[in-house]
Amino acid sequence: MKTFKLNKIFILLLAMAVVTSCVKDDDFETPDLSIVEPNITADQIISISALAGILAQSGEQVVTISETGKYIEGYVISSDEGGNFFKQIIIQDAPSNPTRGVKILVDVSPLFVSYEVGRKVFVKLDGLTVGTSNGSLALGVRNGNLVARIPFPDREKFILRSGITEEIVALPLAIEDFTMDKVNLFIRLNDVQFNRNDVLGPNPKTFAAEPGDQFDGERLVESCATNATTILSTSTFASFKGLNLPKDRGNLDVVLVRDFFNEFYTVYLNTPAGINFDNENRCDPDIIACEGPSGGPDTLLSENFEGLTNINQLTDWVNVNVSGGSVRYVLGNFSNNNYAQISGFASGEAVIESWLVTPNMNFDTFSQEQLNLDIEAAFDNGKILSVLITTAYTGDVTTTEWEILDVNIPTGPSSGFGGFQPSGPINISCFDGNVRIAFKYVGSDPSATTRYHLDNIKVTGIQN
Amino acid sequence: MKKRIVTLLLCCFCIANVFAQEAEVKGRVVDLNSGTPLPDTKISIQESIFSTTTDADGMFSIKSPDLPQGEQVLLVERNGYMTLRMPITIQSGGIVNLTPILLDVDFTEVQSQIGTISLADDELDQDDGTSTNVSGLLQASNDVFLNAAAFDFSATFFRPRGLDNANGKVLINGIEMNKQFDGRPQWGNWGGLNDAQRNRDFTMGLSANDNTFGDLAGSTNIIMRASQYRAGGQISYAASDRTYEGRVIGSYNSGVSADGWAYSVLISRRFGNGGYIDGTIYDANSFFASVEKVINQDHSLNFSAFYTPNRRGRSTALTQEVLDLKGNQYNPFWGMQDGEIRNSRIREVEEPVFMLNHYWNISEKTRLNTNLGYQFGKIGNTRIDNNGTTLYTLNGQEAYVGGARNADPNYYQRMPSYFLRFENPTAFDYQNAYLAREEFVNNGQYDWNSLYLANQLAASEGRNAVYAIQEDRIDDTQISVNTILSSQVTDNIVINGGLNYRGLKSENFAVLKDLLGGTGYLDIDAFAEDGPEVLLEDLAQSDLRNRNRIVGEGDRYKYNYEIDAAVYGGFAQAQFKYNLVDFYIAAEGSQTTYQRNGLYENGNFPGSRSFGESEELSFTNYGVKGGLTYKLTGRHLFNLNAGYITKAPGIRNSFSNARQNNDVVIGLESEKYQTADLSYIYRSPIIKARLTGFYTTIQDATEIGFFFTQSAQGLENTNAFVQEVTTGIEKLHFGGEFGMEAQVTPTIKLKAAASVGQYTYNNNPNIYYTSDDFNNPVTFGDGTTKLKDLHLSGGPEKAYQLGFEYRDPDFWWVGATTNYFSDAYINVSKLRRSGVFASDTDGLPFNDFDEDIARQLLKQENFGDYMLVNLVGGKSWKIDDYFVGFFATINNVFNQEFKTGGFEDSRNADYRRLAEEARRDTPVFGSRYFSGFGRSYYVNVYFRF
Repeated sequence: MKTFKLNKIFILLLAMAVVTSCVKDDDFETPDLSIVEPNITADQIISISALAGILAQSGEQVVTISETGKYIEGYVISSDEGGNFFKQIIIQDAPSNPTRGVKILVDVSPLFVSYEVGRKVFVKLDGLTVGTSNGSLALGVRNGNLVARIPFPDREKFILRSGITEEIVALPLAIEDFTMDKVNLFIRLNDVQFNRNDVLGPNPKTFAAEPGDQFDGERLVESCATNATTILSTSTFASFKGLNLPKDRGNLDVVLVRDFFNEFYTVYLNTPAGINFDNENRCDPDIIACEGPSGGPDTLLSENFEGLTNINQLTDWVNVNVSGGSVRYVLGNFSNNNYAQISGFASGEAVIESWLVTPNMNFDTFSQEQLNLDIEAAFDNGKILSVLITTAYTGDVTTTEWEILDVNIPTGPSSGFGGFQPSGPINISCFDGNVRIAFKYVGSDPSATTRYHLDNIKVTGIQN
Repeated sequence: MKKRIVTLLLCCFCIANVFAQEAEVKGRVVDLNSGTPLPDTKISIQESIFSTTTDADGMFSIKSPDLPQGEQVLLVERNGYMTLRMPITIQSGGIVNLTPILLDVDFTEVQSQIGTISLADDELDQDDGTSTNVSGLLQASNDVFLNAAAFDFSATFFRPRGLDNANGKVLINGIEMNKQFDGRPQWGNWGGLNDAQRNRDFTMGLSANDNTFGDLAGSTNIIMRASQYRAGGQISYAASDRTYEGRVIGSYNSGVSADGWAYSVLISRRFGNGGYIDGTIYDANSFFASVEKVINQDHSLNFSAFYTPNRRGRSTALTQEVLDLKGNQYNPFWGMQDGEIRNSRIREVEEPVFMLNHYWNISEKTRLNTNLGYQFGKIGNTRIDNNGTTLYTLNGQEAYVGGARNADPNYYQRMPSYFLRFENPTAFDYQNAYLAREEFVNNGQYDWNSLYLANQLAASEGRNAVYAIQEDRIDDTQISVNTILSSQVTDNIVINGGLNYRGLKSENFAVLKDLLGGTGYLDIDAFAEDGPEVLLEDLAQSDLRNRNRIVGEGDRYKYNYEIDAAVYGGFAQAQFKYNLVDFYIAAEGSQTTYQRNGLYENGNFPGSRSFGESEELSFTNYGVKGGLTYKLTGRHLFNLNAGYITKAPGIRNSFSNARQNNDVVIGLESEKYQTADLSYIYRSPIIKARLTGFYTTIQDATEIGFFFTQSAQGLENTNAFVQEVTTGIEKLHFGGEFGMEAQVTPTIKLKAAASVGQYTYNNNPNIYYTSDDFNNPVTFGDGTTKLKDLHLSGGPEKAYQLGFEYRDPDFWWVGATTNYFSDAYINVSKLRRSGVFASDTDGLPFNDFDEDIARQLLKQENFGDYMLVNLVGGKSWKIDDYFVGFFATINNVFNQEFKTGGFEDSRNADYRRLAEEARRDTPVFGSRYFSGFGRSYYVNVYFRF
């Protein structure tokens, strides 16, 4: 009917469409992200130790660096992949046998997507401020007399990625060798385990998901070789916070830092992969269990705290805090009943070690001795009371050799009171001579602050 | 051609008149240019009840003893052609034979259709709560008001009578196209088919429609039959800066051949690297084909198919802070990669439709139309997933390590306001805010390379991808069958009826679209939190039957379920036409069932709560309506419509958290609508006017929202990702609309239109919250949200227009309209109006609650008033038998900035947090707004043959 040929029209149409209308909206290639090595010469680089020296020599809280043209170089050892570090990367001066590390504060999260562990980076110093942040050497920008995070738009201006990544070899370090110089290094704690009260029993603790954990879950780590202890901290934002602590023993690969308030050393994991516990045989102290009959009509010690108005009125008892704090046993009272009470709650003391020691008892004139007492646990966030015994009290609890008694310490509610529970009888008939019994409280505010009430402490036996 | 007409003339004279006592008007309608017969042309004797339509050969006949005698006007109307008014004289027993009646193509109609449909293209990607504009329904209307609404008001998301487009029915060849998911038509499924969609029947409101019972906002039946297209072809090219940059369409229609075959084909392409909003890439192709065989006078069989794959880059609502810094063309969703714009949020719609239509003239007065439709395909929406993790095991325990933060450039922690969020900011805070501002202003787009870098680092260490592109998919397969009967029982009575069935299988799942250089993605929910008795590693599983699965590109993950839906229904209608009054009554009934079938056993909802079949939901619904037109004189008419309808809730509002479990909305009811409207219509040779008042109430509406909030007051953890289920919502719509045009000279037409309404919530509906962060549904306070008398969001409640058109006899024309809008309201946060607002984190009342401040905090934002001026013009040339023309519009000539919609954030919903937010100079979680387009143009050139 028409002179137009359909084919021609559509060829024309398609040609128009093809020519004019290319839209790229799919099938993007993976971009080439190879790194151009920053052009930084050796004479532009100063060591992290030198950076620490600049701060130390200045005598100031912070030093802002300008017009030096200098950089530091280092290897990333921290990772926020597991949520355990936040808006910071820690670098150390060598992939193995490092001597110094520094924390770089950056207002970016996450950072592991750009700076993985082992990545070499250069940090431009001009415009940055060096100081201490939470007790450790830190680089950032200046906010008054504080080191603050580098604003996110400036991150790439100051931190330059090298194309080099190295395997980071953890530095073996004993707990008692922790020093400020070793802070910000990636270390290995050899042959350690978590405290038995946290991992043994039916309800082992998690890394940081206990009701009392705020900001960080702090868990006691013990060295099998030296009995020295330190704290493994895990952020309550960590993705592995809900895992139960492993009960075996072995090595921990961790970053050594100071705690938030710069009061003690603590270590952080990057991910659970830093835990290499492969030895099932724990190194717990032996718990004494005497055999044979126990109990009798005669009393060696009986203390129900009645009639006192202050715990110091107890005669011959020892009530001492050996961690330098003020948490001690005090006299408690409820419903006209007196008892000895201790709680680290709201003390602000990160390390608490307090002792209540009985007067001396001469077991030589008795046999079949046994211990009974009532214990109430309240606001429980961990079992932090233990009952010890010695036959060689030196006058100083810390130098006395103690043995642990198998006393059932009740678990109370996390909020509220559990009521007095009778503990015992505990057979202590295998001891002779001058005997003292101690109630040792080891806590940390806010993570380990369970409140205990002790009452009706009674040692009985048969007088010879 | 002349020869043919002579033959036809002779042929018509041969028809004998067998009913001598009857008067008869008959004839044949043909195209002036081509001489092809024009079927389905409406023929009526003005101001009488007598009307008919032409058959496939363009023939018609009206005969009756009751035909009005004497001088009458015969109206000949057909879409796309100039309406013809022919004076005739009818005598008793006489025959008026009008052969041929030559209809001329209406250039302006052609032009305006081309223009209008470009507006409807904007509908394609409005799926985030704003796609509620019914103007797409309105294109083929002659109503002055509705034209204003379609052409000029639509840019503001104006909704006639405040109704959502789920309240309007769209049919193609008699088959309903509204989605069962949300009741809305998926415009993208027929985008770009403009030339093939010229033939439309639009019925306003509840007025009687021959094909369907209809719905509150009206019904459109798009006729896509090969025999119904004007023979010939057209090529057009459009350029614009609104949504696409270019559009090319070519179409050809054969017309009905001598042996009864007709075919139509159309190919089009729309494309662009960004419209008015940056980065909104546009990549759409459209194909249409139809073949029809007119078997004989009584039977015709048509097959139509269309396939319109389209991909669009999306944009989003922005806070005032972002709008102030980057302007209303800003889109945070894209970034440059490899020198090209890459949008992270691509909406892809590919749902081809096939239909078989049978038209059967059972008798001269009775027609039966039977249709079979089949549709399948996919709708996909992509986004960046930033929570890729890696599994670490420790003594048999599992932990998921990794995940990143939201990488959007406008993430709140990257905004200046975030650094000034505390009271009395320090100099250091201001410095950080300044740096953030500079960064956002100068960059402010996605950094694709950083995502690839993260995944490459992860891959090099044997870890899984941190980032990936996730596509949320709905893959529907639907079969529709219906049959529609229409019978002229007497000269005055037409009855219509229909039966229909729709069966839908809808697969809903996420698919890993792009690993962005990573090696695999661990399919767990990185947001899972430890429960009291369940282990995290179980909670986090998207499918407990397939734990800790590493997925690759193309794999389904995260959620996977099917919905089976079926609707059986029917309607019956009677239309009566008399000299003084026309009236109709109609009723419909339907049975709807939905069932979810979980294919994954979700870790948060183990067992049959998520896996396997849900309860089967069943809804029985009905509707009745009636209407009446009273013709006081030929110039003054009154029209009244009223109806009561119950509607099954959409699938979307039936399952409260379909991605995770089989839970059904508690207290789910069918929606109930009562509506009435009354119009006064004035028609004179110079003035056409309509004034309508309307009143609609809606009961038992259900809405479900999803969001993260920090104000889940009284719960153990006040932070939760929640599903917000509101039931028993009552709404009230009332107001008036007005349209008038005056043909003051043969070339100048003046237009005026107005709509003044009030659309409000009419009760305090029940509201509850579910979440995988808590076990049972939670309510706050008295379990309601205080919505009564708050305005519904969505477009201005008041809109006014003044305009003119000048049509030169020399085939060029220009027009201009000035439009004034006011009283559009923000979509309120329901959580803020619930018991949460006055409760502290422990669920007890705030001790510092101040009534006056509270009232201020809960005041609903009104977007104010503004004026938009639009210009339009075009010219056509006729060269031999060909037409060439162009058409251009400039909208929003004065580049007025305006907000089309917006919503309050529910992240902060309690008094204390909101008061804190209000004290800030710039809120951190401010309301987010959709902006209207600034000055924009659209030009179309076409060539018809």
